[in-house]
Amino acid sequence: MDTAIRNTIRRLRFDHSEMTQQELADKIGVTRQTVNAIELGKYSPSLEVAFRIAAVFGVPLDDVFQYDGKGVKR
Amino acid sequence: MSFREKSAWISLVLLAVVFGAYFSYIGMVVAGLARNRFSLFLVMVAVFIIAEVVLHLVIATQTPRDARTPKDEREQLIELKATRTAFYVLLVSAFGSIGTVHLRLSDPDDHLWLMMQAILFSIVFAEAVKFARQIVLYRRDA
Repeated sequence: MDTAIRNTIRRLRFDHSEMTQQELADKIGVTRQTVNAIELGKYSPSLEVAFRIAAVFGVPLDDVFQYDGKGVKR
Repeated sequence: MSFREKSAWISLVLLAVVFGAYFSYIGMVVAGLARNRFSLFLVMVAVFIIAEVVLHLVIATQTPRDARTPKDEREQLIELKATRTAFYVLLVSAFGSIGTVHLRLSDPDDHLWLMMQAILFSIVFAEAVKFARQIVLYRRDA
C-alpha cells in the first residue's frame, strides 16, 4: 500500500553524484531494500531516518518529503 | 530477493517439509497404522535445526553484507506485524487443541499425548503463518 508521503530521494541521489541506493542505505543505517521501499512510497520512514536522509543530502526535511494527504481521516 | 526474505522462505519451507512429514506420521499413529515413537520428534527437531543452520550459512555466504547488517526499522516492523498475526493463530489453534479431549480414544492416556501433538501443531502452524506473512510483507514493499 502506498503512503501519503511523496519524496524526492531519487532526484536527490541523482544530483549527488548519482549516489546508489546501497550508498545511501549505508549512510543512514538501513538496508538497500528499505531505501527502495521509501523511494517508491511503499514505506514511511521514522522521523529519525527521515532526518538522516535530509542530512546526507544537506537539505531541509521538507525538500525530501512532502505530505500528499487530503487531510486527517476521523 | 533480500537476505531476510530468503531466510523467511527457508524457515517456511523447512517447517512445511520437516513437520509436514512428522504430522503425517502422527496422523498414521492416530489412524492406528503406525506405532508412536518419541524419538521421531527428536530426530525431526534435530533435522530442522541442522537444515536451518546449513541453509542460512549458504545464503549468508552468498550475501555476507546483508547477513551482517542488523535488522532495520522496516524489517523490525515487518517482523512485529507477522508476529502479531501468528499470535492470533496460535491463540485460536491452542484453544482448539483443548477440543482433542472430546475425541473417543481407546486408551484415556492417549488424550494427553494427542493434546501435546495438537499444541505442537499449533506452534508449528503459527510459526509457518509468521514466516508466510513476513514474505507477503517483504514482497508488497519490494
